[in-house]
Amino acid sequence: MKQKALLLLALGVAVILSGCSGGVRPTGWTNLIVDEDTVYAADVDQVRVLDAATGAVSWAFPPEADLRTYGPFYTVARDGNTLLVTANERSGSGLFARPPRGVLRALDIESRQIRWEFRDTGGDFVVPGAVTDGLLVIGNGDGCVYALHVEDGSLVWTFPTAERVWATPLIFSDTVYIASLDHTLYALDLTTGRERWRFEAGGALVSTPAAQDGTLYVGSFDNSIYALDAATGAERWRFNGQNWFWGTPVISGTVLYAADVGGNVYALDTTNQQALWQVNVGESVRLGPALSEDGGKLLIAGADSRAGALYGLDTSDGFIVWEQPAEGQLGSMAVRGPVVYVSRILGSASLQAYYIENGRPVWSYPPPEAGQ
Amino acid sequence: MWNLLILNPMINLLLVFYNLLGQQTILAITALTLLVRLLVLPLTLKQQQSAQRMQELQPKLQKLQEKYADNREKLSQEQMKLYQEAGVNPLGGCLPLLIQFPLLIGLYQAIIRALAVSPLDLLQLSQNVYSFIPGLAALIPLHTNFLWLDLGQPDPYYVLPVLVVVTSWLSQKLLTPPTPAAGADDRTAAMNQQMQIMMPLMFGFISISYASGLSIYFIISNLVTMLQYLFIRPRRAAARAAQPKASQKE
Repeated sequence: MKQKALLLLALGVAVILSGCSGGVRPTGWTNLIVDEDTVYAADVDQVRVLDAATGAVSWAFPPEADLRTYGPFYTVARDGNTLLVTANERSGSGLFARPPRGVLRALDIESRQIRWEFRDTGGDFVVPGAVTDGLLVIGNGDGCVYALHVEDGSLVWTFPTAERVWATPLIFSDTVYIASLDHTLYALDLTTGRERWRFEAGGALVSTPAAQDGTLYVGSFDNSIYALDAATGAERWRFNGQNWFWGTPVISGTVLYAADVGGNVYALDTTNQQALWQVNVGESVRLGPALSEDGGKLLIAGADSRAGALYGLDTSDGFIVWEQPAEGQLGSMAVRGPVVYVSRILGSASLQAYYIENGRPVWSYPPPEAGQ
Repeated sequence: MWNLLILNPMINLLLVFYNLLGQQTILAITALTLLVRLLVLPLTLKQQQSAQRMQELQPKLQKLQEKYADNREKLSQEQMKLYQEAGVNPLGGCLPLLIQFPLLIGLYQAIIRALAVSPLDLLQLSQNVYSFIPGLAALIPLHTNFLWLDLGQPDPYYVLPVLVVVTSWLSQKLLTPPTPAAGADDRTAAMNQQMQIMMPLMFGFISISYASGLSIYFIISNLVTMLQYLFIRPRRAAARAAQPKASQKE
């Protein structure tokens, strides 16, 4: 009997440890972008193009979800008539499945066909790339930064770092600023990929820097936000918060807004580095804050794994004006006019729109009726 | 509660070991595994001793089974009597196993969480790292490259899964009582044989599918189990050898 019990116990442990592998459980966050009146979203099983006003799906790629062929879609960026989407593909199957590798595809918006694919990487794509002048720059889990021509997918240059690159680059003038988990922010020449300077922080960096008036602002896992000279990388000042900074800060005038994964939201005066106010939303925050177009509301995305809420704060004092909890983890946020659009993973609705003024839902995809 | 009492302390200990041991993840995993095994050592020794005592009682138990083959109630009474006389609790091996089980599961989770392969894992890790220990967050992400391995990914050449299967089989073999002689309980023997094959294969399957850092934990654990057994066996043998002499003197 004892052996039987042990055998059952062992099998139980095997099930617990190996987990349930059925279906696709996202390993990263999805993102969306809003251009004119259209929402483009990498939504795991499909790339969806929706009417920004109603949430109605105009078209999707592939027309029928086909994860086996395309893998789960995580990121999307746009350059003119081209959507640059990334997915993670597994090779092999069953016991011999290998870790996922990223594939980058250029999807023509008019023909809705793939123009080219880029697979020559050793890791996965976690965040979208940045596009300028027909050049896409994107980081990869293999530690490299890749620059490709949007037109044909040809590789222009690569730049290796010592760790995974999970940050979208900031392209400003002729310089690419990109953060790596190796604790370093790199400034690279846009056309050649040659390093101009590097800044080593006290912790890992996973966010896009924010720029204003020749100064870069970037948060780090050492609980600090660094202000750097964009031309040289020299540190101008730093602000010490209470937890890791994951998201990109946002700047309005002389006020910088940032949030840490401990749920603390800060408003800093960049002229004297003093906190104007600080509030805690009660759950961790991964994304950088977003500002309403009139600058009156600060939007904070909670990162709770089960029900990440969206918060609307008054920028003058940090008062939480409204809170919209929903099932699933928030992946991205985009503001357009009076509406904020969000993508989610692990929830019944994957794409949602809310009025910034009061947090009232505009639409949800899939609609509640269809999702139930 | 689980995070507070089990997972967070283990993750932070792993980070402390990582810092102390030259930022070598494989050494940190080894050190944490050894520490946890040391903590549960009294329980595992008790469990192994109990298993050995039960093994020593097997001949007498078999005789009882033959004698009372038609009377299960009487058999049960006589078995309990035998256990009492020998000072053995038939469930004595289970309790220590159940107590150490959460610690071992916690160790498994701590390794997976600390390796933070995916962005979601890394975000979760941010909730586990103690902010009151300075410098821990600066250690993240852990360096996961060792020889041909990325400890956050399965071994591409299947070397570690093979080692896991071999060491699991050896430790199972050592811990499982030898097949009884003629007249023995065939069902028990068959069950033992199944265990000897199933358990290593199960761990091998996990090793193929999951981070190779976990395989390191399995291998170290198995080696510790074998060392413990090799440590206990001579002492039990000596104790057994001393028993007849003591009886003769009486």
